[in-house]
Amino acid sequence: MDSTVKAQQWLIGIFSVLLVVILIIIAGVEMKASKEQKPHIEIDATSAQCINCHQRENVAVKQIDAWKESKHAVMGIGCNECHHAKEGEFDAQRCPKSDFLIARHPTPKDCAECHSQEVAEFANSKHAHQFWLLKNADRAVFENPISTRHGCEECHQVGNLWPDGSVGECDVCHPKHSFSKAVARQPETCGECHLGPDHPQIEMYLESKHGNIFKAKGKDWDMDYSTKNFEPIPIEAPVCVTCHMDGNETQPMTHNVSARLAWESQMTWSYRTVWDEENLGSWEVKRERMEAICASCHAPDFYETYLLTADLVNLQYNEIRRQFVYWTKKLTKNGLIKRLKEDGKFYSNPVLNGWDEDPEHDMYYGWHHEGRRFRFGAEMMAADYTQWHGIWEVQEDLMEVIKWAAEHGDAEAKKIVHSTSPSKFTTYTLYDIPGNAWGIPTYTNTTPYLYNKYPDYWDRIYANVKTAYEKGLLSKKQWDLWEERFENKDHYLGLKYTHTPAVDSTWNFYKARNEYDLKKMKEQVIDLKLPGKPFFKK
Amino acid sequence: MSMKEWFKERFPIDYEKFVEINENIFLKEPIPNHMKKWWYCSGAMPLILFMLQVVTGILLSFYFVPSPEMAFESVRHITEEIRMGFWVRGIHRWGSNLMVIALLLHITRVFFTNAYRKPRELNWIVGVMLFLLTLAFAFTGYSLLNNQLAYWATTVGTNMFKQVPVVGGLLLDFLRGGEDVTANTLTRFFMIHVMFLPLTMFLVIAVHIIILRVHGVSEPEGFPKGHYAFYPHHFFKIIILTLFILSVMSALTVIFPPGLGTPADPAQTPLHIKPEWYFFPSYRFLKLVPLLVGIALTTAFVLGFMFWPFIEPIISKDLKVRTKFSYFVGSLTIVFTVGLTVWEMFFA
Amino acid sequence: MAQNENKQSRRDFIRNTTVVGALIIAIGTFLRHAIVYLLPKKKKKTYHKYLVAKKTEMPVNKAKKITLSGKPVYVVRLNEGYKVFSGVCTHLGCIVRWEEQKGRFYCPCHQGVFSKNGQVLSGPPPRPLDEFEVHLEQNLVFIKVEDKMEGPWT
Repeated sequence: MDSTVKAQQWLIGIFSVLLVVILIIIAGVEMKASKEQKPHIEIDATSAQCINCHQRENVAVKQIDAWKESKHAVMGIGCNECHHAKEGEFDAQRCPKSDFLIARHPTPKDCAECHSQEVAEFANSKHAHQFWLLKNADRAVFENPISTRHGCEECHQVGNLWPDGSVGECDVCHPKHSFSKAVARQPETCGECHLGPDHPQIEMYLESKHGNIFKAKGKDWDMDYSTKNFEPIPIEAPVCVTCHMDGNETQPMTHNVSARLAWESQMTWSYRTVWDEENLGSWEVKRERMEAICASCHAPDFYETYLLTADLVNLQYNEIRRQFVYWTKKLTKNGLIKRLKEDGKFYSNPVLNGWDEDPEHDMYYGWHHEGRRFRFGAEMMAADYTQWHGIWEVQEDLMEVIKWAAEHGDAEAKKIVHSTSPSKFTTYTLYDIPGNAWGIPTYTNTTPYLYNKYPDYWDRIYANVKTAYEKGLLSKKQWDLWEERFENKDHYLGLKYTHTPAVDSTWNFYKARNEYDLKKMKEQVIDLKLPGKPFFKK
Repeated sequence: MSMKEWFKERFPIDYEKFVEINENIFLKEPIPNHMKKWWYCSGAMPLILFMLQVVTGILLSFYFVPSPEMAFESVRHITEEIRMGFWVRGIHRWGSNLMVIALLLHITRVFFTNAYRKPRELNWIVGVMLFLLTLAFAFTGYSLLNNQLAYWATTVGTNMFKQVPVVGGLLLDFLRGGEDVTANTLTRFFMIHVMFLPLTMFLVIAVHIIILRVHGVSEPEGFPKGHYAFYPHHFFKIIILTLFILSVMSALTVIFPPGLGTPADPAQTPLHIKPEWYFFPSYRFLKLVPLLVGIALTTAFVLGFMFWPFIEPIISKDLKVRTKFSYFVGSLTIVFTVGLTVWEMFFA
Repeated sequence: MAQNENKQSRRDFIRNTTVVGALIIAIGTFLRHAIVYLLPKKKKKTYHKYLVAKKTEMPVNKAKKITLSGKPVYVVRLNEGYKVFSGVCTHLGCIVRWEEQKGRFYCPCHQGVFSKNGQVLSGPPPRPLDEFEVHLEQNLVFIKVEDKMEGPWT
């Protein structure tokens, strides 16, 4: 046979095999879908009537679009299922274009028809608490009522007490009418209210590593996940609800945001929470819940140390608070400042005793704004809020009060103000912990004045922390952790490593650079003398 | 009674004669020796591609819906949701591009071997018609996708016919099935693409091959005289080519999957609108000169191209001069079209 | 010589079979792909809950009519619990109506009669009314409905 024909036959064989291989590869290839698939929606006859008319009359039509996006729409939960009403109900209203009797305001009671667990959990959370009305003496005294309509009342709608006796407003977080889980999970949803000078949780979150990862990658996360059935957390870093509400492998999902909180650190004093102890258990049980969430991502050693440090910040706050109370009480007793009165009786609580005098003003800020930021920041990994927006300003508030007292003739205050001792700012006792959760520092702990100056510094701290533990403000586990650190404080404070050759050589390198910097600064600007004369003659 | 006899009774043709004809026409078709070189078989390639286009085209028409609302969505459906759909569409799409390339190569080969000369002038004209039909295929084909590119290419492309003197308006109405690009345009293009053009193409290909067969393949100089039979040598070649081209197109489909673009929006012309690459020379050219001049010159070019076998003899009686002149004109055309294509592709 | 030829023809045979085999496999794979392309994708059916009634609106032995995909569906409260039937007669596809007084379903086309349990009582229907799977939750009656996507292809 002709050899070229033979070669051609082989070529046919080879190309057949090649084609088969490519076709097999082809069979495994899938094209990416460019179109979002939407579930088919059945619109029941009643809803169809509402929708048609609303569209014709152009009333709230966007809400219909939102509803079509909702899981409700897929599941046959139409208009009437939530907006049904009986004659005489507080929100019963005749639809002006039909004879339908509809409910103007579906309340948590309506939601509970299906979501009874969520509504019950919510009602037992502090979101539902009426504290802002129970402690409202400042309301309508400093701020006037009209200003609170779209102020206080808008955010506190989350815990509205309805005429039907139910509490809350579900769509504060799950926007009607899509009632989207994904939107409710967005940190910005919490941030609608948890922001600003008095409780900037959203800013704190975005400052934290958690928030930063969310900002960088969150747009690619599917936030519509379920954690109802002990599923693992599917997102890389937590958003607000991940820690406060979502479940994980060990924790059930909850709509009770108070179930995992161990402090009342928004209060004038930090105290261990007793909120719904009967059902939720003690603060230690609540803390364990939170730790079970932390454990999804972190090792116990890390989060226990982290949270213990935050707890000590809370306790520390109380000691500073004690100073504010001491001074305002003293100034009140001495007639230098006055509480608000009406009909011969004191108006309101001493905490809220008016804003017309500087010490009262400072005390209020030292709690309601700076004091909260100090504590929340420590709990939520927001360093800048613990530091500059927190303790720095709290400390300034306290010094302002003392300065004011000195200016108004208080001898004790004068003594503090005129003192030249560096410890004059620490007119209160202290908590501390050797080292931090992040790592082992070296030179860091050689600088602070107090424990260099006072050899019994750690003994004083020890006594305070021990008392806090004995009084139940810290758990046994925490005390053990603290003691372990205390006993090995040379390690945790890094003192053991500070003067080793490796550390010293690095330290000296930067020290030299610093000296050079300062020298250059002096040469460039401090020693600079300009020939032109100033204009204002002193 | 055997099956064969049963069948023979009901379909009584002379089977011996049939086998004989088949042998004479196909199996023993004398192929000149020079065609052992692959370069000289460039005519088979477009034919193979055309057959593949027919097969994949039929498959695509199972799912394609020619309406403005559904055209894009159905192509998306084929590409993303139908199993192997992206492959079928990919082969159809790459097939159209490769067919244009294969034809260009074939035309170049035929031109520079002067194979169009007497007595094969008519077959050259038929060949040019096939090329124009292929371009019409391509144009109507990519209009069917009804994405932004398709919609605006259709709008601009059909608008050009308006410039044709006297009958321009009528032509536009005929192509669009109305004054504007509407659902009528789409169904019209669909019909042209899947009915009119394939039928015409089949007929013209038949004419092309019959003329080729009756004349025999033109033989360039410099090859040993002699012939060999179509089967098996040339037959195998075609099989190899088919397997190879299918592999290449399948691979291309994976590496460069057929895109979708964005659905047509009659209210917004995209910023960067360009036709398919094979229209670049005329597209670029039309941008350079006034529209009417451009259309006139393009028409003149096509006519000159088509009737070149009759134009060439007018130039000179000397065959060598003719050849030189043809080479010059051919080279100039290549430089010009490649230049315009590159300009449009990379610098516009 | 004869042996050589023999060898030669055996080689030819092996080559021919290999090549033809490969070619057939290639053509087969191509055809397989084309057939797969033409056959509709079979997806595993999934279902979701669909609210059809609230218990409080359903007295015993009463039926409630709703519409699902343009076809009527009856929710019936029996002593034993809830049943949900398709309103399409199993005979020839007419729509059955609920006869409140007699507590039965009646198909006007060929006088088919179904009990409130959906069982055929009389007439031509070959089998009981089609039923939906019922899920009760708190005050709510759900049925299981097939998941469908919006679009012209489902």
